[in-house]
Amino acid sequence: MADDLQMARAVQDAALAIEGVASLGTGRWAEAATYGAGEKVTGVVISHDEVRVHIVANYPPPEPLQALAERVRERVASRVGGRPAMVVVEDIEVVRDENL
Amino acid sequence: MRIFNRIVVVLLLAGIVALGVTMLFYLFDVSDYHLEDLSRTLGLNGLYDGANNFVQRAESRSLDVLDIVVLALVALLGLVLLILEFKPPSPRRVRMHQGTYVTRRAVEDEVNSAVEGSHEVLQSNVKVKAQRRTGARVNVTASVRPGENAQSVQADVQDRVQQRLDRVGIPIGNLSVQVRESDPRQTKTRVK
Repeated sequence: MADDLQMARAVQDAALAIEGVASLGTGRWAEAATYGAGEKVTGVVISHDEVRVHIVANYPPPEPLQALAERVRERVASRVGGRPAMVVVEDIEVVRDENL
Repeated sequence: MRIFNRIVVVLLLAGIVALGVTMLFYLFDVSDYHLEDLSRTLGLNGLYDGANNFVQRAESRSLDVLDIVVLALVALLGLVLLILEFKPPSPRRVRMHQGTYVTRRAVEDEVNSAVEGSHEVLQSNVKVKAQRRTGARVNVTASVRPGENAQSVQADVQDRVQQRLDRVGIPIGNLSVQVRESDPRQTKTRVK
């Protein structure tokens, strides 16, 4: 369980470090999260057979969503110890211009 | 349909459990129960007679037309349920590549933004269906004022959606646009 949380945190950091990822999604019908004792990591679901990451992409995206999601998947796959990684683009969020 | 089938199976299993427990009581003669009394207690004698009578009539080919129709409908219903049960469920998310998906809601939002960017469209209704293969099936219904050129609006909306999804990078499998004339007083936007 602690390992799952640790892995979820590593995946969360890896996904958020990629340009074009605004934040991690929370799921719609069921919360997308990994749970531990008194703690949860939102946006990453670790199960025995796969690791799923829910991302919210920036609009306009720096590259097509297909490429962005693939880049996230590759980055995540290297941190999950051989489990298949799956990326879900949950939403697209307009980037706020800080100069306005 | 899977939920319907699950309810049927749950009821069936509950019935089997109840029958099994009852049988145990009768089998071991608990509290003066006897197995030979079971059919009488449950009122099954009438059912047996009815079933016996029905089978005899079926064997002698003297069933009513109504009976035959009901039997055919039951068989047909069973066949439909069987086919639906074998059919794999449709995917919830739109597949982009192997292991990468986008939610239907995100696609809907993008399509809505593209459609409502058209000056002629007062309101839009977008339905996105995920396909088993890559891409989404998108159905758009655009509401316009009476008297607008439906064909040009349809082409414009189609172009806008295609361009927007291409720019964002969402694969599209099938795009269908319908234009409907609506009273502006009943649409989301009256004037653009």
